[in-house]
Amino acid sequence: MSKPYELGGGDVADRQGPGLTRRGFLRKGAAAMAGVTAVAGALSPLRELKRRDLPTLERLLQKHYKEMTPDDKQAVLKRIAEEVERRFGVRPTVTDPPPLPGVEYVYALNVSRCVGCRKCVHACVRENNPSRQPEIQYIRVLKMQKGSIDVETSDHHYDPPLVPEHDSYYLPVQCHQCAKPPCVKVCPVEATWQEPDGITVIDYDWCIGCRYCEAACPYWARRFNFAEPTIPRGELNPQMAYLSNRPRMRGVMEKCTFCLHRVRAGRLPACVEVCPTGSRKFGNVLDPDSEVRYILEQKRVYVLKEEVGTLPRMFYYFDERGSRYHEPIAPVRPREPEGPSEGGGQRS
Amino acid sequence: MARVKPSDPPREPGPLPGQRMERLRPVLVPLVLFVVAGVLGSGLWQFESPLGPRRAAPPWASDPRTVYQPKLRPQITIAGYTYRCSDCHDLFPSPAETTRPLTQHREIVLRHGINTRCFNCHHRTNRDALVDDWGREIPYDQPQLLCAKCHGPVYRDWLHGSHGRTGGYWDTTRGPQLRPRCVACHDPHVPPFPPIPPAPGPRTLRMGDQSHPPQPEQTDPLRFHLKTPRGGPRPGDE
Repeated sequence: MSKPYELGGGDVADRQGPGLTRRGFLRKGAAAMAGVTAVAGALSPLRELKRRDLPTLERLLQKHYKEMTPDDKQAVLKRIAEEVERRFGVRPTVTDPPPLPGVEYVYALNVSRCVGCRKCVHACVRENNPSRQPEIQYIRVLKMQKGSIDVETSDHHYDPPLVPEHDSYYLPVQCHQCAKPPCVKVCPVEATWQEPDGITVIDYDWCIGCRYCEAACPYWARRFNFAEPTIPRGELNPQMAYLSNRPRMRGVMEKCTFCLHRVRAGRLPACVEVCPTGSRKFGNVLDPDSEVRYILEQKRVYVLKEEVGTLPRMFYYFDERGSRYHEPIAPVRPREPEGPSEGGGQRS
Repeated sequence: MARVKPSDPPREPGPLPGQRMERLRPVLVPLVLFVVAGVLGSGLWQFESPLGPRRAAPPWASDPRTVYQPKLRPQITIAGYTYRCSDCHDLFPSPAETTRPLTQHREIVLRHGINTRCFNCHHRTNRDALVDDWGREIPYDQPQLLCAKCHGPVYRDWLHGSHGRTGGYWDTTRGPQLRPRCVACHDPHVPPFPPIPPAPGPRTLRMGDQSHPPQPEQTDPLRFHLKTPRGGPRPGDE
């Protein structure tokens, strides 16, 4: 590397120290300036940081949910209510309902009645205060091909004028509230755990956002707040609980909690209440007279991904005769004659 | 910055392209950094979601009301006046039951399978009541007893709560449980649950391109090609 135009010569170099020339000084100075400017530019999003984005001292020093005394909890609920009011301009009612004794929740879903209208999805969004933009929804409704249980070929984005479509059935999926939840096992900070009534909850103040639980969940039931969650004014549900639908912050996980704030007050989850066909059933499985107990005892039920050993509390069932027997079934091309060894059965 | 000063003795008539690059080189790094800083600082380059703006869900998407709101009373409203069924039917006896075209109640469409006779469900003499299998009266507010005449398994499931909607409280010690009756979801004259428009689907990049639902061969080509020759075409292939 030749330097044909080096300035100064030996005298200058001698006076200013070895290797330092005017040109070199300018070069390095310009590079340093640019470097500083670039760093400042990279840090520029900090300008948009508002005071409310900074965690308060109380929040930083907050204990783990299970270690809080009742007084601690009251202080935390008060702090959350104030934060929500500052952020959304609505004074919420923040509670922390305890699990009811002798209750274990089970969910049942009748796939032969579900028409895929997605009303459960939107009722859930209205109830649970997830981010609207970017969009977070706990329930996914899969359009499945009739005769197949292969979720790999399902479709989330169906949009016909009317549902149900004659060649499809619909499989809503949400958190299965597993009895052996893999998401709880992987959490490095114990920010998520299973409550005595079977609901797996998250302490949003304790979550570090590592997303291990999202990766561990075989049902894709957990959602991550990649960006600051936004909820339009007027759409916030002011009835909140610490472990369920209080507004989340950026960088934490969230999930379906069976509408914990409703069900621990004896009410049904929002998705159950809104389902127009009554495909969704919910109740206490320890109560021998409950709807879900009847379904588990009398109906043909199955769970998703039984082989992964998560023991879900979400059971899919179907009736002796489906609700859509009056519909024409999609024409099926005549099958090629084949050897007797296969028995003509479709393998999947 | 990299211009040659006049006092510098030129070694060659003009710098070769490679040498020009050589002279620009020290400026390049600061220049790039300056540009990066400018772009980052200006806020011009912001993330823009390819999903576009949010579509708010319509209010009916979270409306928990039933499809129908039946009155559960033997009433009919004509030109703003409400009558009991017997107001007319006591005066004008109905003709014998045939499949002739209707002269009254022509707005009623009857598509209830093989059940094509009015008096299968309506009481022959007391028009303010429905009828059971022995000719006894069933009040209008107990339609499930009428439906149970034919739909036994469904009635059994409804009684136990596995068929039909449930609202209100799961814990009946804390509040009332709502169990809408058959006619809240089924029009008794056209009983299949009516097709309804779906609420808006998800708008997130995590579930792939929304305009093109995944085809079987895209999601798992190995599985698709293994399955096709053995199982034949699948239901829905056309």
